[in-house]
Amino acid sequence: MEGRFPPSNPWAPLTAEELEARKVVNVNAETVTNTAATDIPGHWGPEQDDSWNLGRFRDNLRIDFHQNKPHDAAFSLVGVDASIANAFRRILIAEIPTLAIEEVFMFNNTSIIQDEVLAHRLGLIPLTGGEKGLKWLRSFRKPPPKDDFAAQAAHNDDGEPSTASDFNTVVLGLKVECRWATEALDGRDGKKLAKEGETDPNVRYVNSNVYARDFKFMPQGQQETQFAGEDAIKPVNPDILIAKLRPGQKIELQCHCIKGVGMDHAKFSPVATASYRLLPQINITSPILGAEAKKFARCFPKGVIGLEPSDESDPNSEPKAVVKDPMKDTVSRECLRHDEFKGKVKLGRVRDHFIFSVESTGQLRSDELFLDSVRLLKAKAERFKKHLSELEEGR
Amino acid sequence: MIIPIRCFSCGKVIADLYEKYVDLISNPQDEEGNPMPDGEAMDKLGLNRYCCRRMMLTHVDLIEKLLRYNPAERDIIKVSGPNR
Repeated sequence: MEGRFPPSNPWAPLTAEELEARKVVNVNAETVTNTAATDIPGHWGPEQDDSWNLGRFRDNLRIDFHQNKPHDAAFSLVGVDASIANAFRRILIAEIPTLAIEEVFMFNNTSIIQDEVLAHRLGLIPLTGGEKGLKWLRSFRKPPPKDDFAAQAAHNDDGEPSTASDFNTVVLGLKVECRWATEALDGRDGKKLAKEGETDPNVRYVNSNVYARDFKFMPQGQQETQFAGEDAIKPVNPDILIAKLRPGQKIELQCHCIKGVGMDHAKFSPVATASYRLLPQINITSPILGAEAKKFARCFPKGVIGLEPSDESDPNSEPKAVVKDPMKDTVSRECLRHDEFKGKVKLGRVRDHFIFSVESTGQLRSDELFLDSVRLLKAKAERFKKHLSELEEGR
Repeated sequence: MIIPIRCFSCGKVIADLYEKYVDLISNPQDEEGNPMPDGEAMDKLGLNRYCCRRMMLTHVDLIEKLLRYNPAERDIIKVSGPNR
Protein backbone atom coordinates (compact mmCIF):
# COMPACT_ATOMS: atom_id res chain seq x y z
CA MET A 1 0.00 0.00 0.00
CA GLU A 2 1.31 3.39 -0.92
CA GLY A 3 1.49 5.54 2.23
CA ARG A 4 -0.82 5.83 5.19
CA PHE A 5 -3.78 8.21 5.33
CA PRO A 6 -4.28 10.22 7.38
CA PRO A 7 -0.60 10.69 8.19
CA SER A 8 -1.36 12.27 11.56
CA ASN A 9 -1.01 9.01 13.49
CA PRO A 10 1.06 6.54 11.49
CA TRP A 11 0.71 3.84 14.17
CA ALA A 12 -3.08 3.71 14.31
CA PRO A 13 -4.61 0.34 13.37
CA LEU A 14 -5.74 0.06 9.76
CA THR A 15 -9.24 1.24 8.93
CA ALA A 16 -11.70 -1.03 7.18
CA GLU A 17 -10.95 0.69 3.86
CA GLU A 18 -7.22 0.25 4.30
CA LEU A 19 -7.72 -3.41 5.22
CA GLU A 20 -9.68 -3.87 1.99
CA ALA A 21 -7.06 -1.99 -0.05
CA ARG A 22 -4.16 -4.09 1.17
CA LYS A 23 -5.91 -7.23 -0.11
CA VAL A 24 -5.70 -5.95 -3.69
CA VAL A 25 -2.79 -6.18 -6.12
CA ASN A 26 -3.02 -3.07 -8.31
CA VAL A 27 -2.80 -3.70 -12.03
CA ASN A 28 -1.90 -0.41 -13.74
CA ALA A 29 -1.31 0.40 -17.40
CA GLU A 30 2.43 -0.27 -17.26
CA THR A 31 3.11 -1.57 -13.74
CA VAL A 32 1.84 -3.93 -11.09
CA THR A 33 2.02 -2.52 -7.57
CA ASN A 34 1.31 -3.68 -4.02
CA THR A 35 2.35 -7.21 -4.93
CA ALA A 36 3.68 -8.30 -1.52
CA ALA A 37 1.38 -9.44 1.26
CA THR A 38 1.64 -7.18 4.32
CA ASP A 39 -0.51 -9.08 6.82
CA ILE A 40 2.59 -9.86 8.86
CA PRO A 41 2.67 -9.01 12.58
CA GLY A 42 4.53 -5.75 13.13
CA HIS A 43 4.38 -4.53 9.54
CA TRP A 44 1.81 -1.84 10.30
CA GLY A 45 3.04 -1.03 13.76
CA PRO A 46 2.16 -2.35 17.23
CA GLU A 47 -1.50 -1.26 17.13
CA GLN A 48 -2.46 -3.34 14.08
CA ASP A 49 -3.19 -6.92 15.14
CA ASP A 50 -1.95 -9.21 12.39
CA SER A 51 -1.07 -12.16 14.64
CA TRP A 52 -2.29 -15.51 13.39
CA ASN A 53 -5.53 -16.55 14.97
CA LEU A 54 -7.32 -19.84 14.35
CA GLY A 55 -10.80 -18.39 14.81
CA ARG A 56 -10.17 -15.53 12.42
CA PHE A 57 -8.62 -17.87 9.88
CA ARG A 58 -11.61 -20.20 10.13
CA ASP A 59 -14.04 -17.32 9.59
CA ASN A 60 -12.17 -16.07 6.52
CA LEU A 61 -11.46 -19.43 4.87
CA ARG A 62 -13.91 -20.36 2.14
CA ILE A 63 -14.00 -22.92 -0.64
CA ASP A 64 -16.65 -22.60 -3.39
CA PHE A 65 -16.86 -25.10 -6.19
CA HIS A 66 -17.72 -23.65 -9.60
CA GLN A 67 -17.48 -26.94 -11.43
CA ASN A 68 -16.91 -30.40 -10.01
CA LYS A 69 -16.51 -33.06 -12.66
CA PRO A 70 -14.25 -36.09 -12.01
CA HIS A 71 -11.86 -35.02 -14.77
CA ASP A 72 -12.15 -31.27 -14.38
CA ALA A 73 -12.79 -29.21 -11.27
CA ALA A 74 -12.74 -25.46 -10.74
CA PHE A 75 -13.08 -23.90 -7.31
CA SER A 76 -12.22 -20.78 -5.36
CA LEU A 77 -9.95 -21.06 -2.35
CA VAL A 78 -10.33 -17.85 -0.35
CA GLY A 79 -8.48 -16.67 2.71
CA VAL A 80 -5.06 -18.31 2.53
CA ASP A 81 -1.63 -16.94 1.71
CA ALA A 82 -0.11 -17.46 -1.75
CA SER A 83 2.56 -19.73 -0.27
CA ILE A 84 -0.08 -22.19 0.96
CA ALA A 85 -2.07 -22.14 -2.27
CA ASN A 86 1.13 -22.66 -4.24
CA ALA A 87 2.13 -25.55 -1.98
CA PHE A 88 -1.17 -27.26 -2.82
CA ARG A 89 -0.58 -26.72 -6.52
CA ARG A 90 2.94 -28.10 -6.42
CA ILE A 91 1.91 -31.11 -4.35
CA LEU A 92 -0.90 -31.82 -6.83
CA ILE A 93 1.53 -31.87 -9.74
CA ALA A 94 4.53 -33.60 -8.24
CA GLU A 95 3.85 -35.44 -4.98
CA ILE A 96 0.60 -37.37 -5.06
CA PRO A 97 1.45 -41.01 -5.84
CA THR A 98 -0.22 -42.71 -8.80
CA LEU A 99 0.14 -45.98 -10.66
CA ALA A 100 1.88 -46.08 -14.05
CA ILE A 101 3.76 -48.53 -16.23
CA GLU A 102 7.44 -48.44 -15.26
CA GLU A 103 9.04 -51.55 -16.74
CA VAL A 104 8.24 -53.17 -20.09
CA PHE A 105 9.43 -56.65 -21.00
CA MET A 106 9.35 -57.10 -24.77
CA PHE A 107 8.90 -60.67 -25.90
CA ASN A 108 8.22 -59.85 -29.52
CA ASN A 109 7.89 -56.58 -31.36
CA THR A 110 7.92 -56.72 -35.14
CA SER A 111 5.89 -53.51 -35.51
CA ILE A 112 7.51 -50.43 -37.03
CA ILE A 113 7.41 -48.66 -33.63
CA GLN A 114 10.77 -49.28 -31.96
CA ASP A 115 10.92 -50.97 -28.55
CA GLU A 116 12.03 -47.85 -26.68
CA VAL A 117 9.46 -45.61 -28.36
CA LEU A 118 6.72 -48.13 -27.66
CA ALA A 119 7.81 -48.45 -24.02
CA HIS A 120 7.74 -44.67 -23.63
CA ARG A 121 4.25 -44.51 -25.12
CA LEU A 122 3.02 -47.25 -22.78
CA GLY A 123 4.40 -45.42 -19.76
CA LEU A 124 2.29 -42.33 -20.48
CA ILE A 125 -1.01 -44.22 -20.47
CA PRO A 126 -2.96 -43.29 -17.32
CA LEU A 127 -4.24 -46.34 -15.43
CA THR A 128 -7.12 -46.66 -13.03
CA GLY A 129 -8.66 -49.29 -10.78
CA GLY A 130 -10.56 -49.69 -7.55
CA GLU A 131 -9.89 -46.76 -5.23
CA LYS A 132 -9.45 -49.03 -2.22
CA GLY A 133 -7.01 -51.28 -4.05
CA LEU A 134 -4.94 -48.34 -5.24
CA LYS A 135 -4.71 -47.07 -1.65
CA TRP A 136 -3.70 -50.55 -0.50
CA LEU A 137 -0.89 -50.69 -3.05
CA ARG A 138 2.46 -49.63 -1.61
CA SER A 139 5.06 -47.59 -3.45
CA PHE A 140 8.00 -49.30 -5.07
CA ARG A 141 11.52 -48.15 -4.28
CA LYS A 142 13.62 -48.53 -7.40
CA PRO A 143 17.34 -49.27 -7.19
CA PRO A 144 19.44 -46.40 -8.59
CA PRO A 145 20.78 -46.66 -12.16
CA LYS A 146 23.96 -48.73 -12.42
CA ASP A 147 25.94 -45.92 -14.07
CA ASP A 148 24.88 -43.16 -11.67
CA PHE A 149 27.33 -43.31 -8.77
CA ALA A 150 26.03 -40.18 -7.06
CA ALA A 151 22.54 -41.64 -6.93
CA GLN A 152 23.93 -44.92 -5.65
CA ALA A 153 25.82 -43.20 -2.84
CA ALA A 154 22.71 -41.25 -1.84
CA HIS A 155 20.56 -44.34 -2.08
CA ASN A 156 22.58 -46.39 0.41
CA ASP A 157 21.57 -43.94 3.12
CA ASP A 158 17.86 -44.51 2.95
CA GLY A 159 16.91 -48.14 2.90
CA GLU A 160 16.89 -51.13 0.62
CA PRO A 161 15.36 -51.21 -2.86
CA SER A 162 12.04 -53.04 -3.11
CA THR A 163 11.62 -56.42 -4.71
CA ALA A 164 8.62 -56.81 -6.97
CA SER A 165 5.70 -58.43 -5.21
CA ASP A 166 1.91 -58.37 -5.23
CA PHE A 167 1.60 -55.33 -2.95
CA ASN A 168 3.84 -53.02 -4.98
CA THR A 169 3.74 -54.21 -8.60
CA VAL A 170 0.85 -54.66 -11.02
CA VAL A 171 1.36 -56.78 -14.14
CA LEU A 172 -0.32 -56.00 -17.44
CA GLY A 173 0.02 -58.06 -20.59
CA LEU A 174 -0.38 -57.08 -24.22
CA LYS A 175 -0.47 -59.58 -27.07
CA VAL A 176 -1.68 -58.45 -30.47
CA GLU A 177 -1.05 -59.80 -33.93
CA CYS A 178 -2.30 -58.24 -37.14
CA ARG A 179 -3.57 -60.43 -39.98
CA TRP A 180 -5.66 -60.27 -43.11
CA ALA A 181 -9.41 -60.52 -42.53
CA THR A 182 -10.68 -63.92 -43.60
CA GLU A 183 -14.12 -65.23 -44.51
CA ALA A 184 -13.94 -68.01 -41.91
CA LEU A 185 -13.04 -65.82 -38.91
CA ASP A 186 -14.35 -62.35 -39.70
CA GLY A 187 -17.06 -62.82 -42.35
CA ARG A 188 -15.17 -60.83 -44.94
CA ASP A 189 -12.24 -61.66 -47.19
CA GLY A 190 -9.70 -58.86 -46.78
CA LYS A 191 -7.51 -59.95 -49.64
CA LYS A 192 -10.44 -60.13 -52.04
CA LEU A 193 -11.71 -56.72 -50.89
CA ALA A 194 -8.21 -55.30 -51.33
CA LYS A 195 -8.15 -56.59 -54.89
CA GLU A 196 -11.46 -54.83 -55.51
CA GLY A 197 -9.92 -51.56 -54.33
CA GLU A 198 -10.76 -51.42 -50.62
CA THR A 199 -8.17 -49.20 -48.92
CA ASP A 200 -9.55 -48.96 -45.36
CA PRO A 201 -7.12 -50.90 -43.14
CA ASN A 202 -9.92 -51.62 -40.63
CA VAL A 203 -11.75 -53.59 -43.32
CA ARG A 204 -8.75 -55.28 -44.95
CA TYR A 205 -7.05 -56.37 -41.74
CA VAL A 206 -7.84 -57.46 -38.23
CA ASN A 207 -6.01 -55.79 -35.30
CA SER A 208 -4.40 -53.15 -37.50
CA ASN A 209 -4.75 -50.69 -34.61
CA VAL A 210 -3.53 -51.51 -31.11
CA TYR A 211 -5.57 -49.75 -28.44
CA ALA A 212 -5.09 -49.35 -24.69
CA ARG A 213 -8.17 -51.54 -24.14
CA ASP A 214 -6.19 -54.52 -25.49
CA PHE A 215 -4.25 -54.62 -22.21
CA LYS A 216 -4.94 -57.64 -20.05
CA PHE A 217 -4.70 -57.27 -16.29
CA MET A 218 -2.82 -60.20 -14.73
CA PRO A 219 -3.59 -60.13 -10.99
CA GLN A 220 -0.84 -61.44 -8.71
CA GLY A 221 -1.46 -62.96 -5.26
CA GLN A 222 -3.67 -60.70 -3.13
CA GLN A 223 -4.51 -58.50 -6.11
CA GLU A 224 -7.13 -61.13 -7.01
CA THR A 225 -9.29 -59.82 -4.17
CA GLN A 226 -8.12 -56.18 -4.08
CA PHE A 227 -8.83 -55.60 -7.78
CA ALA A 228 -11.70 -58.06 -8.29
CA GLY A 229 -14.32 -57.56 -11.00
CA GLU A 230 -15.09 -53.89 -11.67
CA ASP A 231 -12.03 -52.77 -9.73
CA ALA A 232 -9.55 -54.36 -12.16
CA ILE A 233 -6.61 -52.23 -13.26
CA LYS A 234 -7.41 -50.76 -16.66
CA PRO A 235 -6.52 -47.75 -18.79
CA VAL A 236 -8.59 -44.62 -18.08
CA ASN A 237 -9.04 -43.98 -21.80
CA PRO A 238 -9.63 -47.34 -23.52
CA ASP A 239 -9.36 -45.78 -27.01
CA ILE A 240 -5.74 -44.62 -26.75
CA LEU A 241 -3.99 -45.60 -29.98
CA ILE A 242 -0.75 -47.34 -28.99
CA ALA A 243 0.53 -48.60 -32.34
CA LYS A 244 -0.51 -49.46 -35.88
CA LEU A 245 0.26 -52.84 -37.41
CA ARG A 246 0.14 -54.57 -40.79
CA PRO A 247 -0.40 -58.30 -41.45
CA GLY A 248 2.33 -60.43 -39.94
CA GLN A 249 3.41 -57.82 -37.42
CA LYS A 250 3.15 -58.75 -33.79
CA ILE A 251 3.50 -57.10 -30.39
CA GLU A 252 3.86 -59.25 -27.31
CA LEU A 253 4.94 -57.72 -24.03
CA GLN A 254 4.42 -57.59 -20.30
CA CYS A 255 4.42 -54.43 -18.19
CA HIS A 256 5.21 -53.90 -14.54
CA CYS A 257 3.33 -50.93 -13.11
CA ILE A 258 4.45 -49.27 -9.91
CA LYS A 259 3.30 -46.39 -7.75
CA GLY A 260 5.45 -43.31 -8.15
CA VAL A 261 5.32 -39.53 -7.85
CA GLY A 262 5.31 -36.79 -10.46
CA MET A 263 8.70 -35.42 -9.38
CA ASP A 264 10.30 -38.65 -10.68
CA HIS A 265 8.50 -38.69 -14.00
CA ALA A 266 5.58 -36.70 -15.40
CA LYS A 267 3.72 -39.95 -16.17
CA PHE A 268 3.10 -40.34 -12.42
CA SER A 269 1.51 -36.90 -12.15
CA PRO A 270 -2.18 -37.33 -11.30
CA VAL A 271 -3.16 -34.09 -13.05
CA ALA A 272 -2.88 -32.84 -16.60
CA THR A 273 -2.96 -29.28 -15.32
CA ALA A 274 -3.32 -27.85 -11.85
CA SER A 275 -3.20 -24.09 -11.79
CA TYR A 276 -4.64 -21.08 -10.03
CA ARG A 277 -5.17 -17.43 -10.84
CA LEU A 278 -6.15 -14.55 -8.60
CA LEU A 279 -9.67 -13.17 -8.77
CA PRO A 280 -9.69 -10.07 -11.00
CA GLN A 281 -11.21 -6.92 -9.55
CA ILE A 282 -12.65 -4.12 -11.66
CA ASN A 283 -13.45 -0.92 -9.82
CA ILE A 284 -15.41 1.68 -11.81
CA THR A 285 -14.62 4.84 -9.85
CA SER A 286 -16.79 7.28 -11.83
CA PRO A 287 -19.79 6.34 -14.02
CA ILE A 288 -19.18 5.38 -17.65
CA LEU A 289 -22.26 6.23 -19.72
CA GLY A 290 -23.76 5.91 -23.20
CA ALA A 291 -21.58 4.96 -26.14
CA GLU A 292 -18.54 4.92 -23.88
CA ALA A 293 -20.18 2.22 -21.78
CA LYS A 294 -20.58 0.03 -24.86
CA LYS A 295 -16.97 0.57 -25.83
CA PHE A 296 -15.96 -0.17 -22.26
CA ALA A 297 -17.83 -3.48 -22.31
CA ARG A 298 -16.01 -4.45 -25.49
CA CYS A 299 -12.66 -4.01 -23.74
CA PHE A 300 -13.46 -7.10 -21.63
CA PRO A 301 -14.39 -10.70 -22.42
CA LYS A 302 -18.12 -11.34 -22.90
CA GLY A 303 -20.17 -11.28 -19.72
CA VAL A 304 -17.74 -9.31 -17.57
CA ILE A 305 -19.33 -5.88 -18.03
CA GLY A 306 -23.09 -5.38 -18.25
CA LEU A 307 -25.15 -2.35 -19.26
CA GLU A 308 -27.87 -1.05 -16.98
CA PRO A 309 -30.04 2.10 -17.17
CA SER A 310 -28.24 4.88 -15.31
CA ASP A 311 -31.51 5.98 -13.70
CA GLU A 312 -33.09 3.01 -11.95
CA SER A 313 -36.62 4.40 -12.16
CA ASP A 314 -36.36 5.12 -15.91
CA PRO A 315 -35.58 2.06 -18.06
CA ASN A 316 -35.02 4.25 -21.14
CA SER A 317 -32.30 6.36 -19.59
CA GLU A 318 -28.71 6.33 -20.80
CA PRO A 319 -26.98 2.94 -20.26
CA LYS A 320 -24.31 2.68 -17.57
CA ALA A 321 -21.47 0.17 -17.43
CA VAL A 322 -21.59 -2.15 -14.39
CA VAL A 323 -19.34 -5.03 -13.38
CA LYS A 324 -21.30 -8.27 -13.81
CA ASP A 325 -18.82 -11.14 -13.41
CA PRO A 326 -15.18 -10.21 -12.75
CA MET A 327 -14.26 -13.92 -12.56
CA LYS A 328 -14.49 -14.17 -16.36
CA ASP A 329 -12.00 -11.34 -16.89
CA THR A 330 -8.52 -12.07 -18.18
CA VAL A 331 -7.07 -8.74 -16.95
CA SER A 332 -5.94 -7.80 -20.44
CA ARG A 333 -5.75 -4.10 -19.42
CA GLU A 334 -7.31 -3.15 -22.74
CA CYS A 335 -9.53 -0.53 -21.03
CA LEU A 336 -6.43 1.27 -19.72
CA ARG A 337 -5.24 1.97 -23.26
CA HIS A 338 -8.15 4.32 -24.04
CA ASP A 339 -8.00 7.95 -22.92
CA GLU A 340 -11.76 8.25 -22.30
CA PHE A 341 -11.55 5.76 -19.42
CA LYS A 342 -8.57 7.44 -17.77
CA GLY A 343 -9.22 7.89 -14.05
CA LYS A 344 -12.58 6.16 -14.28
CA VAL A 345 -11.50 2.57 -13.70
CA LYS A 346 -9.06 0.74 -11.45
CA LEU A 347 -7.98 -2.84 -12.19
CA GLY A 348 -6.64 -5.22 -9.61
CA ARG A 349 -6.50 -8.76 -8.35
CA VAL A 350 -7.64 -10.02 -4.96
CA ARG A 351 -4.55 -11.33 -3.22
CA ASP A 352 -6.15 -14.11 -1.19
CA HIS A 353 -8.76 -15.37 -3.66
CA PHE A 354 -7.34 -18.27 -5.68
CA ILE A 355 -9.38 -19.69 -8.55
CA PHE A 356 -8.04 -23.21 -8.86
CA SER A 357 -8.46 -25.37 -11.91
CA VAL A 358 -7.59 -29.04 -11.44
CA GLU A 359 -7.79 -31.40 -14.38
CA SER A 360 -7.25 -35.01 -13.32
CA THR A 361 -5.91 -37.60 -15.76
CA GLY A 362 -8.50 -40.00 -14.36
CA GLN A 363 -6.90 -42.20 -11.73
CA LEU A 364 -8.43 -40.15 -8.92
CA ARG A 365 -11.27 -37.64 -8.90
CA SER A 366 -10.21 -34.00 -9.18
CA ASP A 367 -11.82 -32.90 -5.89
CA GLU A 368 -10.37 -35.92 -4.09
CA LEU A 369 -6.94 -34.96 -5.46
CA PHE A 370 -7.15 -31.55 -3.86
CA LEU A 371 -8.06 -33.12 -0.52
CA ASP A 372 -5.09 -35.47 -0.92
CA SER A 373 -2.81 -32.49 -1.44
CA VAL A 374 -4.12 -30.92 1.77
CA ARG A 375 -3.52 -34.19 3.65
CA LEU A 376 -0.02 -34.45 2.23
CA LEU A 377 0.91 -30.90 3.20
CA LYS A 378 -0.39 -31.58 6.71
CA ALA A 379 1.68 -34.76 6.98
CA LYS A 380 4.77 -32.89 5.80
CA ALA A 381 4.20 -30.11 8.34
CA GLU A 382 3.82 -32.67 11.12
CA ARG A 383 7.02 -34.40 10.07
CA PHE A 384 8.83 -31.07 10.09
CA LYS A 385 7.49 -30.29 13.57
CA LYS A 386 8.69 -33.66 14.82
CA HIS A 387 12.18 -33.01 13.49
CA LEU A 388 12.20 -29.58 15.12
CA SER A 389 11.27 -31.02 18.50
CA GLU A 390 14.03 -33.58 18.11
CA LEU A 391 16.42 -30.72 17.42
CA GLU A 392 15.38 -29.05 20.66
CA GLU A 393 15.98 -32.23 22.59
CA GLY A 394 19.48 -32.29 21.10
CA ARG A 395 19.20 -35.63 19.34
CA MET B 1 5.18 -40.38 -36.62
CA ILE B 2 2.18 -41.67 -34.68
CA ILE B 3 -0.01 -39.39 -32.58
CA PRO B 4 1.69 -38.75 -29.20
CA ILE B 5 -0.11 -40.18 -26.16
CA ARG B 6 -0.15 -36.87 -24.31
CA CYS B 7 0.07 -33.18 -25.04
CA PHE B 8 3.73 -32.16 -24.78
CA SER B 9 3.01 -29.07 -22.68
CA CYS B 10 0.18 -29.88 -20.30
CA GLY B 11 0.02 -33.68 -20.26
CA LYS B 12 -3.60 -34.11 -21.32
CA VAL B 13 -4.23 -37.48 -22.98
CA ILE B 14 -4.85 -36.87 -26.68
CA ALA B 15 -4.09 -40.20 -28.40
CA ASP B 16 -7.69 -41.38 -27.92
CA LEU B 17 -9.06 -38.25 -29.60
CA TYR B 18 -7.07 -38.32 -32.82
CA GLU B 19 -9.21 -40.86 -34.69
CA LYS B 20 -12.40 -39.05 -33.64
CA TYR B 21 -10.83 -35.76 -34.78
CA VAL B 22 -9.88 -37.15 -38.20
CA ASP B 23 -13.39 -38.55 -38.57
CA LEU B 24 -14.98 -35.19 -37.72
CA ILE B 25 -12.89 -33.16 -40.15
CA SER B 26 -13.00 -35.61 -43.06
CA ASN B 27 -16.47 -37.19 -43.03
CA PRO B 28 -19.80 -35.39 -43.56
CA GLN B 29 -21.13 -33.98 -40.27
CA ASP B 30 -24.08 -31.75 -41.24
CA GLU B 31 -27.15 -32.08 -43.47
CA GLU B 32 -25.29 -30.57 -46.42
CA GLY B 33 -22.58 -33.19 -46.17
CA ASN B 34 -19.82 -30.83 -45.07
CA PRO B 35 -17.14 -31.98 -42.65
CA MET B 36 -16.70 -30.01 -39.44
CA PRO B 37 -14.15 -27.16 -39.42
CA ASP B 38 -10.94 -27.93 -37.47
CA GLY B 39 -11.65 -25.43 -34.70
CA GLU B 40 -15.15 -26.70 -34.01
CA ALA B 41 -13.95 -30.30 -34.04
CA MET B 42 -11.32 -29.52 -31.43
CA ASP B 43 -13.88 -27.67 -29.28
CA LYS B 44 -16.16 -30.70 -29.49
CA LEU B 45 -13.39 -33.02 -28.33
CA GLY B 46 -12.69 -30.82 -25.31
CA LEU B 47 -9.35 -29.48 -26.50
CA ASN B 48 -9.59 -26.01 -24.98
CA ARG B 49 -5.98 -24.96 -24.50
CA TYR B 50 -3.84 -23.98 -27.44
CA CYS B 51 -1.12 -26.43 -26.42
CA CYS B 52 -3.45 -29.42 -26.91
CA ARG B 53 -4.98 -27.88 -30.03
CA ARG B 54 -1.61 -27.59 -31.77
CA MET B 55 -1.01 -31.31 -31.07
CA MET B 56 -4.05 -32.21 -33.19
CA LEU B 57 -3.81 -29.41 -35.70
CA THR B 58 -0.17 -29.88 -36.64
CA HIS B 59 0.17 -33.65 -36.39
CA VAL B 60 1.36 -35.43 -39.55
CA ASP B 61 0.51 -39.11 -39.37
CA LEU B 62 3.68 -40.39 -41.04
CA ILE B 63 3.16 -43.93 -39.74
CA GLU B 64 0.60 -44.47 -42.50
CA LYS B 65 3.37 -44.03 -45.07
CA LEU B 66 5.86 -46.24 -43.22
CA LEU B 67 3.28 -49.00 -42.83
CA ARG B 68 3.41 -49.50 -46.59
CA TYR B 69 6.94 -50.89 -46.29
CA ASN B 70 6.05 -54.20 -44.73
CA PRO B 71 8.33 -57.08 -45.80
CA ALA B 72 5.88 -59.60 -44.37
CA GLU B 73 3.22 -58.27 -46.68
CA ARG B 74 4.66 -58.95 -50.12
CA ASP B 75 1.42 -60.68 -50.97
CA ILE B 76 -0.38 -57.32 -50.94
CA ILE B 77 1.28 -56.51 -54.21
CA LYS B 78 0.42 -59.91 -55.58
CA VAL B 79 -3.17 -59.54 -54.46
CA SER B 80 -4.02 -55.94 -55.18
CA GLY B 81 -1.75 -55.19 -58.08
CA PRO B 82 1.08 -52.67 -58.41
CA ASN B 83 -1.10 -49.60 -57.73
CA ARG B 84 -1.68 -50.63 -54.03
